[in-house]
Amino acid sequence: MTTPEKGKGLAGVAGEPFAVELRGVTKRFGDVVAVDSLDLTVDENRFFALLGPSGCGKTTTLRMIGGFDEPTEGTIRLHGEDVTGRKPYARPVNTVFQSYALFPHLSIFENVAFGLRRQKVGDADVKRRVGETLELVQLTGMERRRPGQLSGGQQQRIALARALINHPKVLLLDEPLGALDLKLRKEMQIELKRIQNEVGITFIHVTHDQEEAMTMADSIAVMNAGHIERLGTPHEIYEDPQSSFVASFLGSSNLVEAAVVDLARGELAIGTRRVHVIPERVPAGAAQVKIGVRPEKLGVHSPGETTAVNTLMGTIADVSFIGVSTQYLVDTELGTSMAAVQQNTGGRRFSPGEQITLAWAPEHTFVVR
Amino acid sequence: MTDGTATRSAAAASAERRRRRVPYLLLLPGGLWLAFFYILPMLQLAGTSLKSGSFAGGYRFSWEFSNYGAGFSDFSAQFLRSIAYAGLATLITFVIAYPLAYFIAFRGGRYKNLLLVLVIMPFLFPFLLRTLAWKIILADDGFVVDTLKAIGLVSHNGRLLATGTAVVAGIAYNFLPFMTLPLYVSLEKIEPAMVEAAHDLYANPRTAFRKVTFPLSMPGVVAGTLLTLIPAAGDYVNAQLLGTPQQSMIGNVIQSRFLLVLDYPVAAALSFTLMLAILAMIIPYIRFTGTEDLVA
Amino acid sequence: MTTVAPAMRRRGRLAEGVRRHMITFYAVLALAYLMLPVAIVILFSFNDKNGKFNFVWSGFTLKYWKQAFEVPGLLEAFLRSLRIAVFSSFVATILGTLIALALIRYRYRGRAATNIFIFLPMATPEVVMGSSLLALFLTFKIQTGLTTIVIAHILFIISFVVVTVKARLAGFDRHLEEAAMDLYADEWTTFRKVTLPMIMPGVFAAFLLGFALSFDDFIITNFNSGQVVTFPLYIWGAARVGVPPQVNVFATGLFVIAVGLMGLSIWAQRRRS
Repeated sequence: MTTPEKGKGLAGVAGEPFAVELRGVTKRFGDVVAVDSLDLTVDENRFFALLGPSGCGKTTTLRMIGGFDEPTEGTIRLHGEDVTGRKPYARPVNTVFQSYALFPHLSIFENVAFGLRRQKVGDADVKRRVGETLELVQLTGMERRRPGQLSGGQQQRIALARALINHPKVLLLDEPLGALDLKLRKEMQIELKRIQNEVGITFIHVTHDQEEAMTMADSIAVMNAGHIERLGTPHEIYEDPQSSFVASFLGSSNLVEAAVVDLARGELAIGTRRVHVIPERVPAGAAQVKIGVRPEKLGVHSPGETTAVNTLMGTIADVSFIGVSTQYLVDTELGTSMAAVQQNTGGRRFSPGEQITLAWAPEHTFVVR
Repeated sequence: MTDGTATRSAAAASAERRRRRVPYLLLLPGGLWLAFFYILPMLQLAGTSLKSGSFAGGYRFSWEFSNYGAGFSDFSAQFLRSIAYAGLATLITFVIAYPLAYFIAFRGGRYKNLLLVLVIMPFLFPFLLRTLAWKIILADDGFVVDTLKAIGLVSHNGRLLATGTAVVAGIAYNFLPFMTLPLYVSLEKIEPAMVEAAHDLYANPRTAFRKVTFPLSMPGVVAGTLLTLIPAAGDYVNAQLLGTPQQSMIGNVIQSRFLLVLDYPVAAALSFTLMLAILAMIIPYIRFTGTEDLVA
Repeated sequence: MTTVAPAMRRRGRLAEGVRRHMITFYAVLALAYLMLPVAIVILFSFNDKNGKFNFVWSGFTLKYWKQAFEVPGLLEAFLRSLRIAVFSSFVATILGTLIALALIRYRYRGRAATNIFIFLPMATPEVVMGSSLLALFLTFKIQTGLTTIVIAHILFIISFVVVTVKARLAGFDRHLEEAAMDLYADEWTTFRKVTLPMIMPGVFAAFLLGFALSFDDFIITNFNSGQVVTFPLYIWGAARVGVPPQVNVFATGLFVIAVGLMGLSIWAQRRRS
């Protein structure tokens, strides 16, 4: 396994081939480049999220893995096997569609059994497996209903069951929770995670909802304009987004222009002030960068009451009470506004017009070009 | 690996070509039928309209444009009558159908489907029998004529049958469902919330109708008027059964020239003129009302 | 103010009430207008007519119902029309459904032209279509008869089929076909198991519409029938010498069967859901 065989893909962790491997995949629709020479590998048994705004190419990427669109260039491998150019029905993947795409003319039983029937599985087996799968999605007893008689959440589970029953090597989910209301969406997030743990197959989940991606996925690829901006665990990409696009797409952040003073010590200048960051986060060779701090990582203190490494002076411009927290809008000494969120845990509360000091730690500072 | 990619992309390209051919293959049988039995006959009609000769001696193609002049000068009255009757009947149909469609769409409630069935029910009876039934209804000593005489709308020795009124009434009746159904379809699509929004924005019921409901029902109005006007302009059954030769329309002339007089060139010239007149009317109408997607 | 307001409100409500009832009244009147000739046709199948013409009510009889099949040529014409209608509509439904599939499912060069091409026959008055076909048959010396009737009927039904099936296909979720392909159904199986069952109600409706159009067609048929007599042609021929009440019997019978089938399908639908 150390030397890749001809036609086989590169090996992933522990010598196993990647569950999904995209090499130089480009998709053009006429003049529009939807996906731009994308390289992506997903390990076995992962919950992987493709996250990005609409039109970023995430759904096209998913559709190419599923075989609904063919890449203009590049190769797609599933478990080391080149599947480029194969029809959807000849690929060991299944899809949960955004619209669910349940067949309205078939019963729930026949919907779930559809894939097995095509593979000529015997009646007894079909019956047993449909029963098991409906149990997995907790919809036992719905066999004889029609899709139209089910609620949105139930339809979603049936769409999931219909795909999972085939034991695909990879399950593709195209914004599967998009049509559900907030409460149901939260429930299904936990449910999907449970099911993924239980069946132990790779899920590739397309979503534009950063919170959803972070709740469920082991790793996330943030896409923008046809390529991947950042790939990593939810924690990594949140704490160190590395680009202003990723920083603003995942939660809010305060971005400030900064000049690199000392690369080795992680010392930067914002205005007349010196701030410190983790040196590895400063891109090599950059003179002018932006530094970012998440609002919840900014401490609000009375002037002189902090010993933090990084500080800025400012005036409270606006206060909003949100219940669990209070949000301050601060006019800083740099002439810019910054947002800071403080947990309501009994600390001092400030009013508009008060002079304050903003303070934060180097490890809570990220750097983007 | 490069070899594999090359053969694969060649295979993909041929699959793509095959896929591109599919819609044309689907169109082929029906398209051929339309080409052979619609386009070709139209060309034949145009060709026949330019022939000269006689039935006994045979007709020969000779760019005989005078057939058009002769046809139009001999039968201009029938032409104009066709347009007038068809226009009038379409107007009457519209006036009857719009409130009916509106009622079914907005007040029909759970009886909507039943009411629609009632609208299409006359279709389940032969067109000719329905028309003949009007002969009974409008008969000289029937209750309709008696009633109209009593209230003075028809003079003492007047009659309805064998008049233009009867022909127009017959046409209006026969094409009423053609008007009602498209109107219903477009009215049904209007969300009540849109009308409520108009009321919320200070429109009284009349203004709300004029500014919201009616414009939104425009596709139905266009479809309905076309579906009524076109067959009405070419109809000759109503004129034949409910009228006299004094009420004969261009359809009567075309059919008798073709089937009885056997004067094919003039008959073809009249028929072709009618087709062109219809197209000349409906193309600007569709353009003007901005409902081109009706065609698509 | 306090005295004026209720009065005004009352008057507004009255106007509203009148409007409300006026449209109901109007609709009832319009429906009555639609039903009147139908009622007459049914009624006059029971008319004990005097003389040749069946135009004046002269007493109730079941005579013509009992002698329904005893008019020479009528049953033959009726059955001939049924056969023509079934066959023409069947062929036109297949041709038209294929066109509708191409129009909805594919983006190809010439789509707009196809749409116009489909619209044209519907924008053609029947006399023009009938006479142009006759011009074709005359030019190529084709004897008019059963074949030419069927050719003409298929032609004018196709467009209506395309429009009807297209309306049904328009709301069709493309993802349904992708889902089937994702679940190991190849193109043909996908068409058979998903596309076809989904469009079937539209196709069936198109077939029924085509049947009705063909069965009732007089004008186009009259140009291309030769010596063949269909049900409408029989009525046309009889109109001059007096339509036998048996024609009304046939029409009423067909109507009762159609309404019965409609009721049955509604009942079946209710029971299923």
